[in-house]
Amino acid sequence: MLSTALIVLPIAGALVVAVLPLTKTATAGLSFLIALGEVALWIVTASRFDFNSSQLQFSTSHEWVQSLGISYTVGFYGFSIWLVGATVVCSAAAIGYALWVGRDRPRAYHALMLGLTGAVVSTFVAQDLLLFYASFEAMLIPLYVLIGVWGGAKRNVATLTFVVYTMAGSLLMLAAVVAFGVTQGTFDLAQAGTSDNVWIFLGFAVAFAIKAPLFPFHGWLPITYREAPVEVAAVLSGIVSKTAVYGFLRIAIPKFPDPVHDLTGLILVLGGAGLVYGSVLAFRTSDLRGIVAYSSMAQMGLITLGLFSVNDYGLDGAVLQSVNHALITTSMFLLVGMVERRCGTGELGHLGGMARGRPVLATVLMVAGMITLAVPGSATFAGEFLIMTGVYGKGWGYAVIVALGVVLAAMYALRLISAVLHVRTGSAVRDEALDLRVGELALVVPMVACLLVLSAWPALVTESSFGGDKGSQVLTQRFR
Amino acid sequence: MTVAGAWICLFAPLAAALLITLTGQVISRRTAGVIATLATFVAFAGAVWSFFEVRAESPSDRENLSTLYTWLVAGNLHVGFQILVDPLSLVMMLIVSGVGGLIVLYSVGYMHGDDEERRYFAYMSIFVFAMLLLVESGNFLLLLVGWGLVGLASYLLIGFWHQRPEAVAAAKKAFVMNAIGDATFALAAVLLVWQTGTLEYFGVFDQVGSMSQTMVDLVALGLLGGALAKSAQIPLHTWLPDAMEGPTPVSALIHAATMVTAGVYLLVRASPIFEQAPHVQHLAAVLGLITLLAAGLVALVQWDIKRVIAYSTMSQIGYMFLGAGIGAYGFAIFHLMTHAFFKACLFLAAGVVIHRLDGEQDMRKMGGLRKALPRTHLAFLAGSLALVAIPIFAGFWSKDAILASALAYGGALGWTLYIGGLLGTFLTGAYTFRLYYRMFHGEPAEAPAAAAAPSHAEHGEGPRSMLLPVGVLAVLSTIGGLVYIPGVWEPLETWLSEVVPPLVVPTTAQDWGSSAIAVTLGLIGIFVARRAFYAGRQIVTNPGLWRLLEQKLYFDELYDALFYRPAVALSNVLRRDVEEPVIERSLDEIGSGTLQVGGEVARVQSGLLRTYALAIAAAVFVLVVVFVAVR
Repeated sequence: MLSTALIVLPIAGALVVAVLPLTKTATAGLSFLIALGEVALWIVTASRFDFNSSQLQFSTSHEWVQSLGISYTVGFYGFSIWLVGATVVCSAAAIGYALWVGRDRPRAYHALMLGLTGAVVSTFVAQDLLLFYASFEAMLIPLYVLIGVWGGAKRNVATLTFVVYTMAGSLLMLAAVVAFGVTQGTFDLAQAGTSDNVWIFLGFAVAFAIKAPLFPFHGWLPITYREAPVEVAAVLSGIVSKTAVYGFLRIAIPKFPDPVHDLTGLILVLGGAGLVYGSVLAFRTSDLRGIVAYSSMAQMGLITLGLFSVNDYGLDGAVLQSVNHALITTSMFLLVGMVERRCGTGELGHLGGMARGRPVLATVLMVAGMITLAVPGSATFAGEFLIMTGVYGKGWGYAVIVALGVVLAAMYALRLISAVLHVRTGSAVRDEALDLRVGELALVVPMVACLLVLSAWPALVTESSFGGDKGSQVLTQRFR
Repeated sequence: MTVAGAWICLFAPLAAALLITLTGQVISRRTAGVIATLATFVAFAGAVWSFFEVRAESPSDRENLSTLYTWLVAGNLHVGFQILVDPLSLVMMLIVSGVGGLIVLYSVGYMHGDDEERRYFAYMSIFVFAMLLLVESGNFLLLLVGWGLVGLASYLLIGFWHQRPEAVAAAKKAFVMNAIGDATFALAAVLLVWQTGTLEYFGVFDQVGSMSQTMVDLVALGLLGGALAKSAQIPLHTWLPDAMEGPTPVSALIHAATMVTAGVYLLVRASPIFEQAPHVQHLAAVLGLITLLAAGLVALVQWDIKRVIAYSTMSQIGYMFLGAGIGAYGFAIFHLMTHAFFKACLFLAAGVVIHRLDGEQDMRKMGGLRKALPRTHLAFLAGSLALVAIPIFAGFWSKDAILASALAYGGALGWTLYIGGLLGTFLTGAYTFRLYYRMFHGEPAEAPAAAAAPSHAEHGEGPRSMLLPVGVLAVLSTIGGLVYIPGVWEPLETWLSEVVPPLVVPTTAQDWGSSAIAVTLGLIGIFVARRAFYAGRQIVTNPGLWRLLEQKLYFDELYDALFYRPAVALSNVLRRDVEEPVIERSLDEIGSGTLQVGGEVARVQSGLLRTYALAIAAAVFVLVVVFVAVR
């Protein structure tokens, strides 16, 4: 029941928010309360979850189209608990931010945000391929509207770009889903066996590669992250991208052992290329969102390296890093939004010197920046180290690329921190620009606090992602 | 109960950092300083407690491993949040918390009146915690965590005055250069995980023998990379002189007494690995030699007093690398300890001068300070004599022990290191006393800055919180080396040799004989500096050489051309030739193409939606057929 409740609560909430004729603030406030209720529900779920078991838990199954083997089957594995946890926390922060800034047409806006949350949660718990596909698609529609209506000046181009890319991915995935289901005779992931069809695998892989995004499927990323409302960009890069991780973990890697074996090299090269490419561009891009966006792309490349190591280190590292990245990129995007609101721009050339007289902003941005660059001792460091260890199993060169990524991350993250906080006061920074307000802190600090807890104890996630079993066993035996 | 003191030692500074950060403006600036100072001395007390507990144990049984909880788990790898309390870590804990406590106390006076004292003391407490974590850690990953966190604290403190572009640039440079070291260190740890399945020191050391030679060499190289960056040894040294942009107590604590010597600690701690990779260990010694000579030469021509001391630090750490590289582990740690005393003393005394002169650091604008600052003068002189290794002063016992070990090591390598090291003592005498004479002797420079800064005149040479630490450190610089008198009294060497048995032990005759030569060369250096000073000329007279040294051997320019510019160029090329034309524009074309097609189709068909639906269905059908049929 809990699985279904976690999906239904935000979607029902979306309907309520859309229908109730409340004032602007009341609508947004109700939406935020629903998002917090979702967090509470997740806490209940996690507290009842048996982290020592690697079995599917809280599972519910209903026949849907029996003749085609389609069912509504949902449930949690250890890693789904953590991915959903990151999702509900990040989306609550994003919805809270929309409340804080007072987005126009709040009934539509918040209904879409809540609907998006429900769709993401549904993707993470789906144990049936068609349900997975439907949830995957259901995420896109709110995103199109959110970007197309509430986006920046170039929102039309951004939306079109995003639509074209994601539709292409969806098309391939739908074909892959149908082909896989037809050849297996079922869409139930637990019942379906493995396939050695390279094309079906590629259909899934490309769809996930676009969603993540992986180099060179990231063409939608720069303009979308720049034009979307900042909290939508946060949700997009923080949690929507993680559906690709779930897809790789639950479907693409376990169900296609032979194609994975044949194509691992190619995917690892693309992951490594994305890591370096994203980092190098982040190092020179001229605006805050660009840095966070390309850094996000680099991180997804890194996570892919961990996933396709297909060993315990890489898989545990990839799950940990997915949770970390969701929390940190959402924090960073919201912080960027807060700076942009104060200065009217995110261009680095016009910023600077904001630390003076704004100690809270300086402290929070510094902490978030240090977690972004994975300073040793942080949760992101633990994740990167595990991924580096894991991918070494596939070749020492990949581990060296991860190490290079560590150095590049230091370069672009420090550049961002200094450009906002240090040296002389930028032309767009007025003296009246306030320090972070309590309302803003209430959104960012919980996420940063989660990251600090994970920094003190990363084993919390890595020990329980695959229950008592080893990640590699689960992927190469249980999930097949 | 042996480890309780060590845990207190570790967590007291962290508690102080949290307290200062979370209370914010509730506490006064001075209270923040007091909290940080007390916490560091509590840490020292914890270390002393642990020391006596461990000393009571039998010598063969002094390795106490204590795990708080499991920090990271993946597959079969379990990494605990664990500390190792043994004779080596205890010496380091005592140095870090003891010297650290004195320097934090000094900061209370030095930073008084700064806008952001609370932030300063929070950072200092974070640093002390991180440094203690580094030396107390019981495994390589937690060591790396401490390693990275001291780098973070160093970054924050170098860039403490963040309005100054030079300070921010220096902070970033230090961080990035150390990130390179962190990365090679991490790679070494990755190799260890695959080779030994553990990162605990003893687990790793037990299995080093069964690793292939290539693997041991690679692990040792990775660790050495980390050590070179952290300890500012050539070729990863260029960040340290720039780091002098930070407040002077920071330079004393982080960039002289403790953090920069972490590389030496690593070489000694991981000696079972380095001993299996003798080439890498020798490389450490040779790089130490090169650094000690190069830094000694560059120090001869610098004008900024803090930069001279910074180059001197690089040079002295070079001696420690030299010692650790030939297996004289106890002496390397011994020199690390005396260096912490006399270099902190020099920096803090220099801080009194800078404080008095209202921020002036150029020695050309100083002179005759002996009369204005008599006590500071004495402290600086004690530190200088210890640095040049003049008998009975602390550096004499430790540096000469390293040189004697090189002599005892023998062979081509031993002799090269020995002769190079001796040359270094001459350079040390020359640059140290060039600085000393310029600052304290001669006539006061015209319009001395002191006259322009009456604000500090009322408390003479500085508040007691500053003079007390300087005094204690001056005493330690004088007598702090008396824990090793060759052939007579060698408690420190005995204490350490149980955990890190030396590969080379000089005879008493080698010790005293080598000292005679080294002291003579040091005195000649002092004499040369003195003559040059009173003759009103420079020690380096060749203009070409002067320029080469003044430009710090062009390392910055070289790295700029080799790494920074190519990185920028690569980024620009990727953006201009790949990202924009290929990735972004192609998309525009797809986009407009879709619109066109959509438009065309829309004219033929009745509605877009139905068209799209139909097109998608058709496309999916085709794809499914292709997927299933075409194999």
